[in-house]
Amino acid sequence: MLVSPIQRAITEPPIVRRLLIGLTLGFLTLFLFLPLAAVFYEALRKGLGVYFAALVDPDAAAAIRLTLLCAMIAVPLNLVFGIAAAWAIAKFEFHGKSVLITLIDLPFAVSPVIAGLIYVLMFGAQGWLGPWLAAHDIKILFAVPGIVLATVFVTFPFIARELIPLMQEQGIEEEEAALVLGASGWQTFWRITLPNIKWGLLYGVVLCTARAMGEFGAVSVVSGHIRGATNTLPLQVEILYNEYQFAAAFAVASLLTVLALVMLAVKALIEWQAHQTRRAALAAKGETEG
Amino acid sequence: MSIAIRALIKRFGHFTALAGINLDIQTGELVALLGPSGCGKTTLLRIIAGLENADSGAIQFDGQEAGHRHVRDRNVGFVFQHYALFQHMTVFENIAFGLRVRPRARRLGEIQIRAKVQELLSLIQLEWLAGRYPSQLSGGQRQRIALARALAVEPQVLLLDEPFGALDTKVRKELRRWLRRLHDELHMTSVFVTHDQEEALEVADRIVVMNHGQIEQIGSPQEVYDTPATPFVYQFLGHINLFKGRAHAGWVRLGGLRVPAPEYQNAKHTPAMAYVRPHDIDLLREPEDGDTTLAATVSRVSILGSLVRLELLQQSDGEIAEVEMTRERYATDPLQPGDAVFVKPRQLRIFLRDDSIDYPPVYWNGGGI
Repeated sequence: MLVSPIQRAITEPPIVRRLLIGLTLGFLTLFLFLPLAAVFYEALRKGLGVYFAALVDPDAAAAIRLTLLCAMIAVPLNLVFGIAAAWAIAKFEFHGKSVLITLIDLPFAVSPVIAGLIYVLMFGAQGWLGPWLAAHDIKILFAVPGIVLATVFVTFPFIARELIPLMQEQGIEEEEAALVLGASGWQTFWRITLPNIKWGLLYGVVLCTARAMGEFGAVSVVSGHIRGATNTLPLQVEILYNEYQFAAAFAVASLLTVLALVMLAVKALIEWQAHQTRRAALAAKGETEG
Repeated sequence: MSIAIRALIKRFGHFTALAGINLDIQTGELVALLGPSGCGKTTLLRIIAGLENADSGAIQFDGQEAGHRHVRDRNVGFVFQHYALFQHMTVFENIAFGLRVRPRARRLGEIQIRAKVQELLSLIQLEWLAGRYPSQLSGGQRQRIALARALAVEPQVLLLDEPFGALDTKVRKELRRWLRRLHDELHMTSVFVTHDQEEALEVADRIVVMNHGQIEQIGSPQEVYDTPATPFVYQFLGHINLFKGRAHAGWVRLGGLRVPAPEYQNAKHTPAMAYVRPHDIDLLREPEDGDTTLAATVSRVSILGSLVRLELLQQSDGEIAEVEMTRERYATDPLQPGDAVFVKPRQLRIFLRDDSIDYPPVYWNGGGI
């Protein structure tokens, strides 16, 4: 590699660069790649037969269904909430705006276990609403609704957090232009706002989905660990592991890992796509002006 | 369409953006709202458009109250300083937007929409850009597209917020000439906001000079330039020289200069200021009788294309004065730095510094003492 004098003057000496890169790679290998590989190695150690048997086990299948159901409810809910919150914060001035932003961050700051306990306190037999719920025969805690609620709470900030800076940066001029041209509020949202935030929104949805599927702490507190009924994938992994069914535990864990990796790949694809769109626009601009 | 604005007040928290604005804009007029940043001109424009609500006061379009009408029902065209083009739409779709979002009953057919957009594209002479995206265009092209988009809905008023503010000087000059021509073709009531006095003087039929949320003066470009109503207007429009002195019993003394000011008959040693444009000054080699000149020294001579600008140091107080003259006139007596000269204002205006007494400004035309 040729290094010009200027480059040499503003970059670190080669030894420092190599050391830093080596350190990063070593750290990643030790704490990320190896454990990840171990998951798949352990899962497949007793052969493919055992592996697939663990996945089609009725309890495991129920856990997969519940996990997907949770994500399917939590993500759309947070999608609507996230857009509404980001819209309100980015496009309007009102009192208590900073309080609202802080509140949205609350699930990031609070330990997931505490989040779960909040729901126990509210909906549990001794909780505020417990007696009323029992009287009306509504089951929230130790049932699917409780798990969904806990998941929604934990994944609450992802989409809103992704959209707020984006929408603040974009400002409201395009929306104003649409209104002056006679567009209604809905038309403005569908035709102007949504297309402008689509990449950020997709990115937030991916992050939110990954977290919704992987959440353990909060869900663990409210689930009650009823096999085949209130166990999500992460809880199923824990149960199998505690029962010394290592191959099965790792098989389910590998499935969860694959889901996470898929989400990661989608996220990378979105970033790449957004980057390409920007680059194409810039390149074309250079062409016009050149 | 004519616009009438009555006693308009707008506050943002403790900041008063508009402190009681009264303004009439006639049908087909091209009016400039001119003032420094923060003077309230953009707020006024946005209130006319309906993008902002006034705290009190009235707005009438063609004599009909319009203050309560929603922005989408006001039928105005608005051009933003930073274009506000829809980034994810082509130029064609940007212009077509206002036609496509109409309620179904009033919406044109696809063929008519296409024809209308083509017509606008040829009006702004950018037909070849129909398929491009805004990020692929230069600033001047974007602003013309923004204008075409605003015109597509056939507005009755065109409002432009610093339309050329983000463009470089050459493009800006081209575009404002083009805007003037366009206005002469369409005769649409237009209001544009600017802080550039040259732009206002060149383009507008009438100029509204604003400062601190109030209107300082309304008049034709010539009126506001030649007979400014207040010291602010004098300073804001064009270059000025300021001479300080005192008014006493109908005369004003500015250093060695004595000027009649009959309006200030009752003034008693009141501090006064005289404003003189750099091109309203004669330079003499010899003093005249009767205190009509000020002694000064040439400190700098700059040649600015067709003009020559001389910087003078006044002998009495060491203040700097600027004089501009044509090159032909300079050639008849090419003064050099260090030369002693005598300054003779051809035309000056005197304002009393004591703002509590509301004297009218005094105009003084050279000789005739």
